[in-house]
Amino acid sequence: MTIMQKTLTRTHDFKLPTAILGACLLQDENELIAACMDGVYRVEIGAKRHQRIGTHESYVSSAVYLAQQQAIVTAGYDGKLKWHSAVDNGLLREEKVHGFWSWDMALSPDQRYLASVTGQYMAGDYKYSPAGETEPSVKVLNASDGQLVHALPHVPSVQSVVFSHDSQWVAAGNLMGEVRVWEVASGKQVGSFQSKDFTSWGIIKSHCYLGGIFAMEFSPDNNDIIVCGMGDMRDPMAGNGRQLWQRWNWREAKMTAQTLEKQSGEGLMEALVLHPARESFVMGGRLRGGDWNAALFDLASGERLGSIKSGFRITQMLFNSKGELVVVGGQGQPGKDAEGKFPDFGRVEVYAIGS
Amino acid sequence: MRVVKHTETNGRGRHECGSPEHRVHRRLFLQGSMASGLASVASFNGLFSIPALAEETKKQGKKCILLWLCGAPSQFEMWDPKPGTITGGPFGAISTSIPGIQISQLMPRCATIMDKLAVVRSMSTEPNEHFQGVDVLTRGEKPRPPFTRPILGSVVAQQLGQLESPVPQFVLLDPCPEGNEFKSFKAGNWAGWLGAQYGPVRSGGEYSIPDILRPEALSEMDHEDRESLRKFLSRKFENDRRSEAAAGYNAAFERVQGLMSCAPLFDLEKLSQADRQRYGLGAFAQHALQARHLIENGSTFVMVANGMPWDNHVFQHEMHQMLVPELDNVLFQLITDLEQRGMLQDTLVIAMGEFGRTPWLNEARGRDHYSKAWSLAMAGGGIRGGVVVGETDPLGFEVTQNAIDNRRLFATIFKALGIDPKEQYDLPDLPTFHRVEGDAQPIQEILLG
Repeated sequence: MTIMQKTLTRTHDFKLPTAILGACLLQDENELIAACMDGVYRVEIGAKRHQRIGTHESYVSSAVYLAQQQAIVTAGYDGKLKWHSAVDNGLLREEKVHGFWSWDMALSPDQRYLASVTGQYMAGDYKYSPAGETEPSVKVLNASDGQLVHALPHVPSVQSVVFSHDSQWVAAGNLMGEVRVWEVASGKQVGSFQSKDFTSWGIIKSHCYLGGIFAMEFSPDNNDIIVCGMGDMRDPMAGNGRQLWQRWNWREAKMTAQTLEKQSGEGLMEALVLHPARESFVMGGRLRGGDWNAALFDLASGERLGSIKSGFRITQMLFNSKGELVVVGGQGQPGKDAEGKFPDFGRVEVYAIGS
Repeated sequence: MRVVKHTETNGRGRHECGSPEHRVHRRLFLQGSMASGLASVASFNGLFSIPALAEETKKQGKKCILLWLCGAPSQFEMWDPKPGTITGGPFGAISTSIPGIQISQLMPRCATIMDKLAVVRSMSTEPNEHFQGVDVLTRGEKPRPPFTRPILGSVVAQQLGQLESPVPQFVLLDPCPEGNEFKSFKAGNWAGWLGAQYGPVRSGGEYSIPDILRPEALSEMDHEDRESLRKFLSRKFENDRRSEAAAGYNAAFERVQGLMSCAPLFDLEKLSQADRQRYGLGAFAQHALQARHLIENGSTFVMVANGMPWDNHVFQHEMHQMLVPELDNVLFQLITDLEQRGMLQDTLVIAMGEFGRTPWLNEARGRDHYSKAWSLAMAGGGIRGGVVVGETDPLGFEVTQNAIDNRRLFATIFKALGIDPKEQYDLPDLPTFHRVEGDAQPIQEILLG
């Protein structure tokens, strides 16, 4: 079988004041909500204009759009979720959901539920295995009013969360590469698996655990979960682990595929999303070594179809309804310029995908 | 200022001290064998004799615990937070027991004992790489080959410790063989010209002390007989040959013999389970508790490290959210324990690394090395609590008030411990060395008395 290679051609490129950690598209897809280190930005992609519409008390980590309510929900390292009006940008509601950070937040496809994950990594033994949680690591909330639906247990830190395409399951992945899956309706845990390939224990510098699962996506049939992060490293501070995705049958806790040999470089992968056509997915992150930091993969074969080298750390990727890829992230924070100001270092790029 | 003349001359050359070991090692050094070469000057034993000041201090029993934060921690996530600024990172700041003084929200326990802590926010040093930084911040001075300046623990052990004690006077608790610049250190690398007997006993994890238990097949009486015979023959050899090497070996034997008698001090399992839980379960916390235990039982200087965990070029905030709370609790427990035991006034606790971290974040969400403006903290043993020295600009780029370099820091540490920072010695035809070089003044604001 011949795999058709794809081209990714950049069509838009602009900057925001600070690095972007999460993003969502608004209904008309011309506007982007960016969760940034210094607040929530509303961005007109075509016009390259932006305005800050809100803040958290710390970094903003995620943003989702509730189309039915015309509301934007953001989560932050202050442990809060905030609802903003998409009509006038006003703050509608805020809830203190976690004692620690919201590492990640997801919206169920039916738009009924939000899930937010947290967890402070603390030493649980001599070799720094994670201590047990001091608060529930996974919270499922009503998207409309923020009311708590489920508080679910996991091992901190829980760094990524995703709903299945039918909104029936919610999955959360942690520092130790463990993914737990719950039924949304009941809150009952229905599956788990653990990959040891995403977590490093630093022999050289960091004598503790580092890494974990940074992004996930259910397969189109919801039977598998594709996870991503960075492969094992002897020195985690080098950040030079393999650019790694793995596909797991979550009911059988069995890995069925992973990044093919010779198709990965080095760097932390922290964004993964399914293409609207559901025949491929894209994974992106930071480039440490190699020639790409975001790549499109064929869902059936795992073959890499095309790639980009953005020159900055990618934190999230989105597809619009036209199948264009929106990439957000941040470059290294530059030093002050001659006027004593910091140049902008948040990045947004849009790519057209062609054959 | 006291001048100690090094009077041992051999008349054979201006660079020789008379020790055959020295000649051999100098040759290795000149051949570029740095590791061996650095060990060479271990045989400058006795360059500092114990002065009257230190004798007096020994009676007072001053001691020191150095929490060595190897890899270099971020001042922004500890002692000099800049919340709400572009360089501040995700963590906030909290008030402390000293009105007007805030520290990182990651340190709530230290915030309650700020009246016992002295924080220096204006450290400004030169080396920006680990090896050089470790050298300067553990020895107080840049290297001056071929001489190896003794590390702080060796100086304190030599000045304040009791070499005849079976309890090791200088202990390094560090479980990680691959972890830091100390991996390849030999005894001479530590103690330098003071001599190998002032090097540390290393323990913890992979460095657990091997072979210090008497084999069951060997009776106590047999063991003592063998030791008496070994000691007699060695002393005879030492006296006949005037061999410093033999003296060094004898010191090592005696140290091992001492260790055998105090092996329980190095057994974490012998410590109270409640204390172990209270300090925290990670290696660093456990060894900090062990440091307290060793100090209580006769050690003079204990250095606690855990490899090089603070070097967060990647995952700065993700790592510091674990490391700083652990340190926060360790400092709180240690200082509180020492105070409750009536030991704090005689025990200096220092928490520092070799430099700080950059105000800006790199692409990997890490902070890189930064020696221009960084922070450290001290408590107890001659140090006035509730004081913050110096300040940095609003973004933490520059020291704006009262810059403190390594020399002033070491002058302060020595002064606090009652060791004369100005002491010097002369070696014929070679430059004069001082315990602290230059005209470095101690930080008076944080010194008691």
